[in-house]
Amino acid sequence: MDHLPIRVLMAKPGLDGHETGAKLIARVLRDAGMDVIYTGSRQTPEMIVRTASQEDIDIIGLSILSGAHKELCSRILTLLRQEGMEDIPLIVGGIIPDKDASVLKEMGVSEVFGPGTNTSQVVECVRNLMCSREKH
Amino acid sequence: MEESKSSHKNVYSPEFWERFQSKITEWEEGVVKERLAPEKIKPYPLTHSGGLDKETKKEFTSGSGDFAIKRVYTPLDIKDTDPIEDIGLPAQYPYTRSRDPVGYRAFRWPLGFYAGYGSGESANQRFRELYAAGAREIGLALDLPTQIGLDSDYPLAEGEVGKVGVAIDTVADLEGAMEGIPLTGLYTGTTGNCIGPWMLAMFYVLCEKRGVDPHKVMVTLQNDPFKEYTGRGTFIFNPAVAVDLASDVVEYIFNYLPEWRSQIYCTTPIRWGGCSASQEIGFGIANLMCYVEAARDKGVMPEDYIPRANLHMSSDSDLFEEAAKFRAARRLWAKIARERVKTDDPRVLAVRLTVFTAANRLTAQEPLNNTIRTTAQVLAAILGGVDHIHVPAHDEALALPTFESTRLANLTKHVLHDECFVGTTVDPLGGSYYVESLTNQLEEKARHWYDQVEARGGAKLAVERGYYFKEMAEGQYRYQKEVESGERQVIGVNKFVLDEKIPIKIFKGDPEGEQKQIERLNKIRRERNNTRVEASLSELRKVAETKASGRRLNIVPAMLEAVRADATIGEIFGVLREVYGDHTLPGVF
Repeated sequence: MDHLPIRVLMAKPGLDGHETGAKLIARVLRDAGMDVIYTGSRQTPEMIVRTASQEDIDIIGLSILSGAHKELCSRILTLLRQEGMEDIPLIVGGIIPDKDASVLKEMGVSEVFGPGTNTSQVVECVRNLMCSREKH
Repeated sequence: MEESKSSHKNVYSPEFWERFQSKITEWEEGVVKERLAPEKIKPYPLTHSGGLDKETKKEFTSGSGDFAIKRVYTPLDIKDTDPIEDIGLPAQYPYTRSRDPVGYRAFRWPLGFYAGYGSGESANQRFRELYAAGAREIGLALDLPTQIGLDSDYPLAEGEVGKVGVAIDTVADLEGAMEGIPLTGLYTGTTGNCIGPWMLAMFYVLCEKRGVDPHKVMVTLQNDPFKEYTGRGTFIFNPAVAVDLASDVVEYIFNYLPEWRSQIYCTTPIRWGGCSASQEIGFGIANLMCYVEAARDKGVMPEDYIPRANLHMSSDSDLFEEAAKFRAARRLWAKIARERVKTDDPRVLAVRLTVFTAANRLTAQEPLNNTIRTTAQVLAAILGGVDHIHVPAHDEALALPTFESTRLANLTKHVLHDECFVGTTVDPLGGSYYVESLTNQLEEKARHWYDQVEARGGAKLAVERGYYFKEMAEGQYRYQKEVESGERQVIGVNKFVLDEKIPIKIFKGDPEGEQKQIERLNKIRRERNNTRVEASLSELRKVAETKASGRRLNIVPAMLEAVRADATIGEIFGVLREVYGDHTLPGVF
């Protein structure tokens, strides 16, 4: 059975402008056969959710290095719920202390990746999240 | 200016080279072949030291992957390098060996830090600790809303206030941060880039409020907008506007505050974003030249601008490639400056190099390993003869640094210099066959990259069109693949990986900082003279509109009045955004 490529939205919410990691992951996911849209930096939570809706996105990846991850993830998850898009998984990468990673997961973030993550792990995670989503 | 009639490029006679070459051939076919004979190879762990093991790779390359590295270097590798013309002596064209004839023999580095978080009060606590510990150089880290010209209660600022640096909305915040710190004789400044004119005004008005002579405070404003379009991301306007505002700062400081430093060009985001050592040099020179010419257009001549500016570079992990890089950077700058500025003036040809060691090489895994990495990177910078070195702390892949980790990073250069005597002679690696060969290769390759930028119409256009992004992305991707395949080893990440994490103390910020900051901001808005604020913003707008129409006018005086009146940073840059427009970067990957 032919699968349509997974549609990924890579986004940088908030004011952090360090794009190297986000771009790297975007490229790796594209090389793995996924359709990737990268929003660029300085996105509001509203802009990200709107783009995800307009572009018929399967999964959202956030890159946050500024320390504002709790506030930003909370807002994005709330908006996704409000828009009836809560089945879209949210994964986050960046500078996130372990303690905060647990907090994010409790909020509803599917996975958190820190510095030095092997990119194949991210690819695998996205594929697994899509598989379990298809089962529902 | 005539080309100097060079003495011999070849120090030795042709017969000597022939003899040496045959020595090398003999060596390769004898000693080396014997050593690597398959029947002799005994792999580890049968040998203790690997002394009979085969070489671990078929081909060895330099840290940034540009150059194949030979088994050994000999005089033949630098046979065309002239000891007078190419290597020379310290403080003589082409400045390969150093900008200063006595180097670190005369050097006294202050204990210097880059710090800040939360509101002014929280930052002040850390600054007092640092000052009490002997720091006489305190660079202020600014939070993201401040770097982007936004108030602490701007919607997108939520969660960002005081996180990566101090939140500054009005001069009261800067006063709070510097409370109790003597300003006279202090080196201070910030790495704010697109907010240059405002930063100038803030420090100047701080001096006014404290009754301190601004000429006695050594302020350095990084004021480097290009950095923001090449991987750092805290830009405001488009590059042309940003460079214009930045050179207003250069002009003003040259005329009224000549003790201050008005601009530094940083190659760090390009390098950390994935570029190679040779690209760092080539792109760096092209970009700094652009600033030199922008300054000249405002009446600040290269001979006055360049001695006060820096080329601020990374110091990466390949010790010898980096040391050679700094030497090649000075030499190539000298040659290009001579071509472009058409002068022999040493003030123009000898560029000042400063360093912030490779923050991109810090690992979150086993953070203490980072102290070893930064030690080698600092050593490379010292061996490369740079003028100043800043070092991130070992825990900065995880969080803002603690007082202890910040201090430890800072002591690196002092231990190396004072205890390990690495600065006792100028350019100790000069004449090394390996390092001179690397210096030559780096210079040649860097020149190629410089030409690429010029072929695209120069730095401003290259930045606008995102040329550097492509090179950065390629380099970063290659590096990542090398680490993941194991081809490039990173201790603790893909070699000698521990199962359990070693816990270290991580800095905890100020969770109430954002709320406190917003309260103070609102208080100031209520209590200030709003008529004065309106008038100052109106004047600022008029000045910006004049500039935007193409007429020459320096924005700093109007900025000073707005800051004195306590117009907030968001109000000030709000006006400028209305006149100049916002800027977005293409999401190219």
